[in-house]
Amino acid sequence: MEPVAILLATAAALLSVIATYLAIEAKDLLVATVFSAVQSTAYALMYYILMAPDIVLVYVPVSVGLLPAVTILLIKKTERYER
Amino acid sequence: MISLLLVILGLTLIAIGVFFDFVGALGLLRLPNFYTRLHAATAGAIGGAVVPMLGASLLALGAEYLGPQRFFLAGAAFASSILLMILAQAGSHALARATYISQGAPLEPIEYDALRERGRGGS
Amino acid sequence: MELEYLVSTVLTILIPFYLTSFLLYIIRVVKGPTLSDRVLAVDSLGYDLAAFMVVLSVLLKAPLMIVSALALALWVYALDIYVAKYLEAREMGG
Repeated sequence: MEPVAILLATAAALLSVIATYLAIEAKDLLVATVFSAVQSTAYALMYYILMAPDIVLVYVPVSVGLLPAVTILLIKKTERYER
Repeated sequence: MISLLLVILGLTLIAIGVFFDFVGALGLLRLPNFYTRLHAATAGAIGGAVVPMLGASLLALGAEYLGPQRFFLAGAAFASSILLMILAQAGSHALARATYISQGAPLEPIEYDALRERGRGGS
Repeated sequence: MELEYLVSTVLTILIPFYLTSFLLYIIRVVKGPTLSDRVLAVDSLGYDLAAFMVVLSVLLKAPLMIVSALALALWVYALDIYVAKYLEAREMGG
């Protein structure tokens, strides 16, 4: 494995931790959904670096496509800001 | 000879794409308003994603050390660039129209608002 | 063989610029004042990450890994449409 790949995987892992903390701390639930999308994008880059493009092909539609769709539908039915 | 020419052309296009990417990111960070940031983001999407994919397509056609699978790489990169050229501006327009209708961002450094006279959203 | 050396050298030089622009996008995602700024920054981040995946697939000499770039670009676009639909539906109904 090349050193460039190890550096990129480390940066993506750090970004996913930061995005998860911000998604927990956010009071606006739509902003939390956006941070969740950032976290799944970082995971997609990590799976790509670790030479698993088939897992990216399954993980990205579920975590960037379906999960924000269901979450935004739920926020539309209830309310946007957390109390 | 032709492969060296294709590789140099592809590397030049990828370098131009990196320049547009950097300029788009800098504009997204420094511009004062949402609607001006939209311009920088669209420049970063078209110039920073479509142009490097076309460059990678040409590069993969020229790079013979990749084996016969390089034609797959060239075709997939070309299809990605064409789809992204259609989709990026559609997404930016949808987001700008939704933000203007719902008044979700301040219009602060503004001189003339033509959409206000024609009605909400200008549809 | 010298063609391979040229390609890998130039692409390795270009990687830090990509990382710097990703960092600038992430700063805008974290501190964006409104929701639309964050969604726009995530959108641009996804598109440029797809382009970076294409470049990385040439650099790592694995041509079959390019299929994930197309999937990432298309599904990040879907997030944009979801948020736009939510923002419009509250004013216009439906």
